[in-house]
Amino acid sequence: MAGHKTIYIDYSRCIGCETCEAVCRFTHGLPRVNMTRAKDGVMMPLYCRHCETPYCVRACPRGALLKGREGEVLLEPALCEGCETKNCLLACPYGGIFMTMMTEAMVKCDLCLSRRAVGLGPACVEMCPCGAMFYADPDEIAELHTDFAQAAEKRVLAHIRPKVK
Amino acid sequence: MNFAFLRDAPPRSNGRSVAVIGAGPSGLAATGFLAGLGYKVRVFDKLPKAGGLMVFGIPAERIPEQSIAAGVKRLEQDFGVEFKLRTKICGSDAMHEDTGDHFSSDLTSLGELTRDHDAVIICTGSWRPRKMNIPGEDLPGVYSGLEFLFPIRAAGYDSQKLKAVDVTDKTVLVIGAGFSAVDVALAAQAHGAAQVKMLYRRTRHEAPCGIHDVCTMEDAGCEMAELVTPVRVLGTDRVTGVEVVQCQLGEPDASGRRCSLPDSCAKAEMDADIVVAAIGEIAAPPFAEELGLDKVRKNEVHWLHMTKLPGVFVAGDALTGPSKIGKAVYSGLKAAKSLAAWLSLKAEDREDEYSDDEVITPQDWHSGPLETPAAKGSE
Ligand SMILES: Cc1cc2nc3c(=O)[nH]c(=O)nc-3n(C[C@H](O)[C@H](O)[C@H](O)COP(=O)(O)OP(=O)(O)OC[C@H]3O[C@@H](n4cnc5c(N)ncnc54)[C@H](O)[C@@H]3O)c2cc1C
Repeated sequence: MAGHKTIYIDYSRCIGCETCEAVCRFTHGLPRVNMTRAKDGVMMPLYCRHCETPYCVRACPRGALLKGREGEVLLEPALCEGCETKNCLLACPYGGIFMTMMTEAMVKCDLCLSRRAVGLGPACVEMCPCGAMFYADPDEIAELHTDFAQAAEKRVLAHIRPKVK
Repeated sequence: MNFAFLRDAPPRSNGRSVAVIGAGPSGLAATGFLAGLGYKVRVFDKLPKAGGLMVFGIPAERIPEQSIAAGVKRLEQDFGVEFKLRTKICGSDAMHEDTGDHFSSDLTSLGELTRDHDAVIICTGSWRPRKMNIPGEDLPGVYSGLEFLFPIRAAGYDSQKLKAVDVTDKTVLVIGAGFSAVDVALAAQAHGAAQVKMLYRRTRHEAPCGIHDVCTMEDAGCEMAELVTPVRVLGTDRVTGVEVVQCQLGEPDASGRRCSLPDSCAKAEMDADIVVAAIGEIAAPPFAEELGLDKVRKNEVHWLHMTKLPGVFVAGDALTGPSKIGKAVYSGLKAAKSLAAWLSLKAEDREDEYSDDEVITPQDWHSGPLETPAAKGSE
């Protein structure tokens, strides 16, 4: 086994059409992948990478973020209740955790837990028109992460982690 | 694009049938949802291939064709969806009015569809060219964004009836600075135009397509003329140029956007062989008036999925005007869900409990609704 599967977005193929967000919203109510438009017009779907050693899990003061059985990072809303620190939000290097200011205080991707339980894959990946989204294991992701994809991702991450002068 | 993403295999038939008019993203998303619930779905489209603007508008390099084709094939083969292509559904309007009508060899009326199905969803998109309302815009050589882009994609399906506009060695002026204006400019450049210039009444910093796309376009060899508004298309029997007035930027309005103030004294003429007004299309669904659609447009505060005609629903750009694939998909899914709820209630004589009055929240319209560190600008 080459490690757990997760969602991978090739930003060089993404056209910013918002289908992932729309499908996630329809499936889960509040979207866990969010299309964000940077100031220069670059469109970037932000999402959880389900890191091997996630910063958010370490940062959460309540232990509400947990590693799931298949390596996914899960948020237990009953423990979270949107605590005062918002440490998870700040800790995530990818902008993949979202504050809602609604009943579910924070939301994040669980790789469509209930769909996986019945043998389906994450809904957003199924519907991406551009072939920019994958549900893949680390080896496959390493192959998908071409120079082109890396350059595009760098542009996106520059917006999420601006240089501090 | 797996439109039937809610299921891995079709359920048993529920004995109900639905007609979907228009096979763009909204129609196909609605189809996938309903087929996944056991409905018999028939999809009608005037064009020779399913996919809507994803296949016939958006430049080919942005959406792989097999992505749409695979999703359509799955609907057809695994979920028993019937596709009736080259079939235009008519209302009271005459034929051959919208871009892409030439392909239809069959005409069916909305009345027939409502008779033969338990419900109908209209997902016909937004295809009618919008006018600039300036003199000379009807001259040959003046096109709307879709009139220019559609034949480029569609010529591959029927080169007898449709030819892409020949831009070889010509000067092309593109009016507007949205995403489709960029698409037009890049397409013209790629097809051998001598000069491609985009005209925008504000500056690149206000351009709806974003500065990144302006740079991409300039890198490809196109130019951008900022702070100019066209007031007249010049020419006698075909376009020879455009008269523009110089503008300046006013103070930012409530939304923070700076308006463009024309200075009528500063006029100039620009030569052109071809002018493309990429200022958006308007929706013209069949029976718009009878369905009460004229009153539901962008920024209205309620989703309206069922029209004035019971059992006739509407979704996608036909409802909202030009938007995006994701918005159209969401709208199609919501309309399909609403339709299924209505039919289930109707079967139990409980139609009066049906309500499609779901209020549109700001989240439904703006992307990135939730706060992210990026949106807040912190690190
Ligand atoms: C040039 C261009 C570039 C774009 N680029 C992007 C982009 O990069 N990203 C993005 O997210 N969005 C983009 N869009 C917008 C996006 O394509 C649309 O918002 C989306 O396709 C709307 O989906 P729809 O299903 O509502 O309608 P459409 O995709 O327009 O589909 C409507 C379908 O209905 C059919 N039809 C219409 N009338 C009838 C009738 N009377 N009878 C039978 N069939 C009929 C049409 O043939 C068509 O197939 C672009 C649009 C254009 C024009």
